[in-house]
Amino acid sequence: MPVTEHQGSSSSPSTFSFGRSLLSLRRDHVAMPSGEEADLEAFQRHFAASLGELLPGEVEGGGGGGGGGGGGGGEEILSVAWIRRLLESFILCQEEFRVFVAQARRRGALPAAGEKLVVEFHERAVKALDVCNAARDGVDQVRRWERLADIAASVLLAPGEIHEGQLRRARKALSDLSVLLVDDTAASGSGGVASFLASHRNRSFGRARASPSRASLAGATSSSHFRSLSWSVSRAWSASRQLQAIGAGLAAPRAHEAGLAAPVYAMGCVLHLVAWALVAAVPCPDRSTALQAHHLPAAPARAAFPWAPPLLTLQERLAEEGKRKDRRNSCGLLKEIHVLEKSTQKLTDAIDAAPIPLFGDREADVREAAAELAAVCAAMRDGLEPLERQVREVFHRIVRSRVEGLDSSMHNAD
Amino acid sequence: MAEDGEEKLLATVQHIVQTLGSSDTMTEDILRVFSNYDGRLSLDKLYAARAAAASAAGGGGGGLGGGGEHSMPESPTLPLPPPPAAAVPPPVTSMERTVRTLDRQISQFVAMDRLIWADSADADAFLEAVDDLIGTVQELEAAGTNRGLFDRAEELLSRCMARLEEEFRALIERPDDAAPAAPGGFRSDGSDDEEEFGGGDGYGDEPIPIAKPVTDYDVVIDALSPGSVANVHQIARRMVDAGFGRECAEVYAAARRGFVDESVARLGVRPRTAEEVHASSWEELEFDIARWIPAFNMVFRILIPSERRLCDRVFDGLAPFGDLAFIAAVRTQALQLISFGDAISSSSRAPERLFRVVDMYEAVRDLLPDLDPVFADPYSAALRAEVTAVCNTLGSSIKGIFMELENLIRRDPARVAAQGGGIHPITRYVMNYLRAACGSRQTLEEVMEGDFGAVGGAAAAVDPDRPTSSLAVHIAWIMDVLHKNLDIKSKIYRDPSLACVFLMNNGKYIIQKVNDSELGVLLGDEWIKQMTNRVRRWSMDYQRVTWGKVTTVLQTGGPGVGGLPATAMKQKLRMFNTYFQEIYEVQSEWVIADEQLRVDVRAAVAEAVMPVYTALISRLKSSPEARHDLYIKYTPEDVEACIQHLFEGAAK
Repeated sequence: MPVTEHQGSSSSPSTFSFGRSLLSLRRDHVAMPSGEEADLEAFQRHFAASLGELLPGEVEGGGGGGGGGGGGGGEEILSVAWIRRLLESFILCQEEFRVFVAQARRRGALPAAGEKLVVEFHERAVKALDVCNAARDGVDQVRRWERLADIAASVLLAPGEIHEGQLRRARKALSDLSVLLVDDTAASGSGGVASFLASHRNRSFGRARASPSRASLAGATSSSHFRSLSWSVSRAWSASRQLQAIGAGLAAPRAHEAGLAAPVYAMGCVLHLVAWALVAAVPCPDRSTALQAHHLPAAPARAAFPWAPPLLTLQERLAEEGKRKDRRNSCGLLKEIHVLEKSTQKLTDAIDAAPIPLFGDREADVREAAAELAAVCAAMRDGLEPLERQVREVFHRIVRSRVEGLDSSMHNAD
Repeated sequence: MAEDGEEKLLATVQHIVQTLGSSDTMTEDILRVFSNYDGRLSLDKLYAARAAAASAAGGGGGGLGGGGEHSMPESPTLPLPPPPAAAVPPPVTSMERTVRTLDRQISQFVAMDRLIWADSADADAFLEAVDDLIGTVQELEAAGTNRGLFDRAEELLSRCMARLEEEFRALIERPDDAAPAAPGGFRSDGSDDEEEFGGGDGYGDEPIPIAKPVTDYDVVIDALSPGSVANVHQIARRMVDAGFGRECAEVYAAARRGFVDESVARLGVRPRTAEEVHASSWEELEFDIARWIPAFNMVFRILIPSERRLCDRVFDGLAPFGDLAFIAAVRTQALQLISFGDAISSSSRAPERLFRVVDMYEAVRDLLPDLDPVFADPYSAALRAEVTAVCNTLGSSIKGIFMELENLIRRDPARVAAQGGGIHPITRYVMNYLRAACGSRQTLEEVMEGDFGAVGGAAAAVDPDRPTSSLAVHIAWIMDVLHKNLDIKSKIYRDPSLACVFLMNNGKYIIQKVNDSELGVLLGDEWIKQMTNRVRRWSMDYQRVTWGKVTTVLQTGGPGVGGLPATAMKQKLRMFNTYFQEIYEVQSEWVIADEQLRVDVRAAVAEAVMPVYTALISRLKSSPEARHDLYIKYTPEDVEACIQHLFEGAAK
């Protein structure tokens, strides 16, 4: 909120003096074609506004449910809706950047050094393609979890009393789900939840698998039955390495660096932020390392750019989310994943504790847990597909901007 | 002090247990069923009762075996809570008998230690029991009167389904384990292609598989024999009937995915990240593309349609579940192949990549119409859209590469001049490139029009063969850029004559290349005429610049005799000698590559020079004053010969 305000009035003293000082510095070096300073200012202002809109309200997102309120559209940070808006903002920023570059070119104000910066940004952006692919797979994987969770939930929410048959069926679905969760958490390179779930599985689903026929019959264990996701990115791919590559060499331009230096830096920062958020949100290979290491880009000084404060706040918020105890070993920081994990757990516990036949409080517990799970499943069904499409959109935008020659006039040297 | 009713029930159960229980596990299962369906019977109580019965029977043969494997609770008789009054068992209805019988039958199967489908009789019996059970459950549900029995039947059903699911998966993953296993599993019919491409595990030095004509992809792999498919379908039908369709779809996908993954791996395409693609050398990528195209065709023309067919058969009449299962089974591998196309599109736009990218584009484009029947359902729509998207991306990439050629020409530095005014490498490169590109002009035109993968390949054929087509316009534009670039290059020759020769040479080369290829059709006669005129003009420029002063020198004024004094004529001759020697020395090292052009230029030179020169010489010879100490350095024959040696190049 305060940031948006700060942004909204571009004529506020601080912004203005910033702009002027930067511009006057530049004038010492190159004669600025008219229009560029206005463009630059507009770009930075829009950029800052887009980021500002993503800021959740000052209220801790925490357990409080959907009520962000505050600065943006009120989506909780790292919810599906929020990620979608983040991607939207990125697309918007990229579009503005494209226009900015095009106008600079039209004015003939893009010297070789400027073109080189554009190329640099594209090199950086292209590195995010694999992150998009991994995130798409991750989202697909989450949809698979949802399908299994929803079987369990809807079985238990069928009208009539809950009987053993339904419990068995729900248990089976939850057990398959837990195998996936364990595998994916393991693939993400995390320890905690995986081992917890693994032991839990033995405890709570052991009974369901007690039939002596199983092992010999199937010849394969349950974990190979529901094999973990096969990534469409190659096996050795690491989200954490990729993030590092995206952030590599991202340094704030010095005051005397004119023209494209600032926008390119801004785009680099937001690209990195988006990639980081995607990796953090959904399961993908070697995800947890990415979160542990401080892979967020070197932060710009708060006062250096109008968009620095909202960006920094976002980074801080994301980092906080990553550090939260209850989320640290999650398969993804996505709010809905967290709820899914929690309600799955709750339902599993409720089923474990349930005597047969179910009655009274126990049944109510089971139904409540099932209803919770069903609710998050419904939310996922609604949200994940558009999210996946949007991840693709970002992917295609990056490809297109490259294919269509945003970096054209500087492609090959002699 | 157990109540009468309960004791009776226990006794009944005991009886059933003793008469049926042929093995410990089965009895245990039966016991559990009983203990589940009726809360009043706890497992503990039954165990206790059974232990008591066993000890009573002593060594007597027929009863239960030792039961030592099961930890028997020691507690003998628990204080039993008084059951509610209503708990008196209802009279045994026929429905109850049915359930009980089914329970008995089914429990036997469910406890079976081997694949039920290993014995077709077992399988049939089990299916029959499952059908009966599903029917019974439906009846019970419809009647809605006997909740207890309904729950019991449902519980039994859930056990059936769990078992069916395992059988289902086993039959899909290891069809040979099934009993009747009709001959011919995977690869038995018509899948030699798979073999051929599949040899590539070793990856290294075996020859790159060559894509076969499209008709050869008209093959379906039957991963499962008709017998297996029938079996699997039987199970799927039961699972869907019983409301377990979603589970069935999930397990189907899980079971098929392994096969799909392996099949793709056997095609020898490695998963490549965009980053890897960007870091790879073009040679490596060409190799990868050469593998990718047949693999892409194999997967989208054989593997995926085969999966579709299998899925349609297994889920025949089981509406959305087949679609769900299908897409979940093939999605990852399909996307992985697609993403290589994206990665290539987003990598370097170096012009030499055009042809391989065109190959990729054409493979995808040609596939599109054939995908419709395979990806017709709404669940497949997203994947279908991805294929379309990669087609568009490859298309734009081609466009981008083509544009890049333009940039390449424009930025080609004018530093080193071509030796002797000959053909510049850029001219050769561009013309040969364009000629080769013309081989794909249909595709290029499509792409230039932004008309990616037009509605069904051949249907929307765009005609590139007119000078107004997008491709033609673009090529004309490239020619223009090339012309400007050559013009700039010509300026680095200090000698304007040489600049003319350079332009002539390159112009002539361009015309030649245009004339003997489809470029001529694209650029049109008008363009060729213009270009020819240009070359003529350059040629005339050359004549003027080089020979103008020479012929001027040789002018002796009007034909009137004695117009010029002998000394002046001698002076002219000396000047001619100097000029001519200079020109000859320099220009015999110049090059005119084209034979005809060379002949023409020489002829033009001779035509301009010889008459005036011969005239001068003869006048000198016929002039009395001049004849005296006349030194003729070049006879007209010498001059003629020298002219014929112009433009032979430094080599001569």
